[in-house]
Amino acid sequence: MGCRDIREAISACVDGEASPEEAASVREHLASCERCRVLERQMRAVGAGVRQVRGSVPDRFREAVFSRLESEGALPKRKKVFPAAWRWAAVPLSAAAGLGLFLLTSREVVRAPVPQAPVTSRGETSAPVAPVPGSPVPVPAVSPAVPPPSTQGNTVALSTEDREMIALLDILEDPAAFDANDDAEGMDLLAPGDSADSPNRPRGGRSGA
Amino acid sequence: MLLFREGSREAFEELFSRHHRSVVRFAWRMTGDPSAAEEAAQEIFLRIARAAPTYLPTAKFTTWMYTVARRATLNYLRDTKEDGEKVPILSEGEAEDGVYPVQLPGPGDRNPEQVVWEAQLMERFRTALGELPEGHRAAFVLNRGDGLSYEEVAQVLGVTVQAVKTRIFRAREMLLSRLSKDVSA
Repeated sequence: MGCRDIREAISACVDGEASPEEAASVREHLASCERCRVLERQMRAVGAGVRQVRGSVPDRFREAVFSRLESEGALPKRKKVFPAAWRWAAVPLSAAAGLGLFLLTSREVVRAPVPQAPVTSRGETSAPVAPVPGSPVPVPAVSPAVPPPSTQGNTVALSTEDREMIALLDILEDPAAFDANDDAEGMDLLAPGDSADSPNRPRGGRSGA
Repeated sequence: MLLFREGSREAFEELFSRHHRSVVRFAWRMTGDPSAAEEAAQEIFLRIARAAPTYLPTAKFTTWMYTVARRATLNYLRDTKEDGEKVPILSEGEAEDGVYPVQLPGPGDRNPEQVVWEAQLMERFRTALGELPEGHRAAFVLNRGDGLSYEEVAQVLGVTVQAVKTRIFRAREMLLSRLSKDVSA
């Protein structure tokens, strides 16, 4: 095949579009033809030249296109999250919804089960007693044998027997309560026949002291 | 495009984001003028949007897009007095022996496809490209510039693959001939 006849196949080869037979013919021809080898490189070069004609996207090209499309009505309207009448209410409504959600979740935290501390006779709560190695087994604040007190609403109604039991348990918890001076000094020891208003009644300290 | 046809504005925005650079480049290569390229590229997107209601996915979207783009630029060139089929410049400068007296970057010892062209040569090349017959220029630009295969170019231009092969070869010869004349002048 002569040079003139094979040039179109060289062009197709440069573009990777030659058939296997054409590609074989081109390879065979180029191996023996210096002029066509030069032409083949020139053909590659002009192909590369096209890719270097790039131009650039003009400023505000997008705005120009979309503006023309919208003026023609060729573009669907953007969907609005809120209708126009509700647009100004969107912010306060969102804030209120957020606050409500916060309050709901806060109440959930309070409702979560909390270990109940036993109630002492003084109306105080005491922490659960942990067993200490080497010490006597701690007395539970509320004996399991004692039946659970009945409740009325949120108040605990204790029977007289319960109160006595709790008082005893308090003393066992705190034996120093036997010798508490504050309590003793505050006591009035009355002899039979005395009255609380008697001027002879000794005050302050133990009797006979 | 199908989503856009069903009324999704976001689909068109995505389509625009993906393809607007290719469209602008194609228009620039076909018209050779920045303001003409912008005008033609805007027209291409208008045509794409207008064609959405009747769009049928019978081919690759890019093939269809370049078909629209080529028609838009062709109309634009006709409106600006280009006849679309200029007299081939090959008649004078054809190198019968297959060698063109032109110095192009690459044909020496470097890879011609990885060499950056000098500004002066680039300007001459742009002029020569603009002087190709529109059908030859479109085939060459679509294949070498936008990476379409001969078959895809044939679909865009509505011609046979053999016709594409011939047009691209002729486009190469004309460009080399024109650049050779510039060098010898």
